[in-house]
Parts: sequence; structure tokens; C-alpha cells
Amino acid sequence: MDTYDWLLFLHVTGAFLVLGGAVMAGIFNFAALQRERPSEIAVLFRLARVAVIAIGAGMVLTLGFGLWLVHQVGYGWGQTWIVLALVLWVLANALGGIGGGREKRTRQLAERLASEGDAPSQELSARLRDPVWLALSWGSGIVIVAILALMIWKPGA
Amino acid sequence: MLALVRPDSWNFPLFLHVLGAIALAGSIGAVTVLAVATRTRRAHAALLSRVAFRTLIFVVLPSWIVMRVGAALIADKEFPDKTPGWVDVGFVVSEPGLIILIALGILAWASARRGGVGRAAVAVAILAPLYLAALAVAWWAMSAKPGG
Repeated sequence: MDTYDWLLFLHVTGAFLVLGGAVMAGIFNFAALQRERPSEIAVLFRLARVAVIAIGAGMVLTLGFGLWLVHQVGYGWGQTWIVLALVLWVLANALGGIGGGREKRTRQLAERLASEGDAPSQELSARLRDPVWLALSWGSGIVIVAILALMIWKPGA
Repeated sequence: MLALVRPDSWNFPLFLHVLGAIALAGSIGAVTVLAVATRTRRAHAALLSRVAFRTLIFVVLPSWIVMRVGAALIADKEFPDKTPGWVDVGFVVSEPGLIILIALGILAWASARRGGVGRAAVAVAILAPLYLAALAVAWWAMSAKPGG
């Protein structure tokens, strides 16, 4: 195995962590949407933190080893797919970061309600179904899939 | 550098294969987290075991099918005569992997029926991470292409 093979493996590992983490987060969020008891919602959101760690580590790996690969292979820095991928990488981080902040506040509300009698709450239900939060979370996932498509089709390469 | 010379007609099957493989790894990761949490968060074991079972049925198995169909399409186009060793590693992981997935599905169903307690719940918590590790070997072989 040469340097290119190792770089590609580490870059792909990052992609698995990001997209796999997004799938994992989607599963926990979807399951939380089906629940009403705050303690059940809180436990599912706490598990989603594993996905957040995977996504964060994957984002660093994809960018770091992706840039190294561009240099190693000799792709032009101005090629359409590379520029678009970098723009979408920033966008995915921004959407995920804002969505993650809202998710954290929802988890904290669920934990508080769980410790105060664990009764279903209109406020918690509304936060879980907040269209802005859902758009941010699912939107960042769609952006990540778009980056994967760019990596495969490489328009402008 | 395959990526530089890959014909356009290979792109969609490859995308399908990679997307399926990633969804498979992520969903098995979720089952692993849920199965381990079933053992450590007893108060919610019934809920977590049900979510693990539904994840296996509605996400893991469809992802495996997408990954496997994509693999067959891209392997037929890229290696019509003989597949190299690194591709064979992928087949070795994916095909017996289906048997492991079916076993996992049965165990997860048994675990969910018993409220996330008992031997089936323990077996899911052991088998799911082992399958995730096997997938990691496959993605190493697919991306690093040892001997390729």
C-alpha cells in the first residue's frame, strides 16, 4: 500500500464516520419523535451524542485527508467538485452545528421534565416537531450526501 | 488512480454501493449503541430493544440490499472476468454477513419480546459490534485496495 492508498482509506473512514453518524443520529431522532414520555426522549437524545462524536471526528478526517489527497494526486484546487465540496462541507457544519444546539436544548428540557414527574409535555412535543430544527438536521444530512455524490462524479475533474 | 479514469457509467452503481455501505455501517452502529444501552439503562431496556429490532428491519436490511446490488453492478462493470482479492474481501464480508444479520434480526426480535432482558439481549450486544468490525475490514479493503 502506498501513500495514496492510506490517504484514501483514512479519507473514506472519515466519510463513513460522518455519513454513518448522520444515519445513526437520524435513527435516534426518528425514534424520539415517536415517543411522548420525556425520560424516553431524553435517553434517545443522550444516545445520539455517540453519533455527534462520530460526525465531528469524521468531519475533521474527511477535510484533513481530503486536502492531503488533492495535493498528493495533483488535482487542481480550483476544480468545480473540490470547490463545491469545500463549500458544502462548511454548509453541512453550519447546519449541523445550529441543529445540534437546538437538539441539546430539547434534550435538556426532556431531562428536566423527566425529573419533574415524567409527564408528556406540549412544549417538548412542539420542540421535537419544530420544522426549523427538522429542516436543519435533515438538511445537513442531505448536504453530506451531496458531498458524497461530488466525490464520485467529480464534475469538472 | 482509478478515480481519475473511471468511466461515467460506473458512477451510479458505485454511488449506490458506497451509500448503502455507509447506511449499513451507520445503522449497525445504531443497533450496537442501542444493544449496549439496553444492558446499561435497564429502566428503558424495553424501548431500546424495540428500537434496535425496528432499526434492523427497516434500515439495516434495506441498506444491505442497496450495498449488495451496487456491489454486483459495479463489480460486473469493473471486473467482468475475474475480481481482485480486495473485492473478494468485500464479498466474504457481505455474503456470510447476511446470515449474521438474519441471526441478529431473530435475536433482536426475541430481545424485544422479552423487554430487552435475557440472553438474546446479551447476544445482540455482542454480535452487532462484531459485525460492525467486519464491515470496517471491508471498507479498509475497498478503499486501500491491498494488493490491488
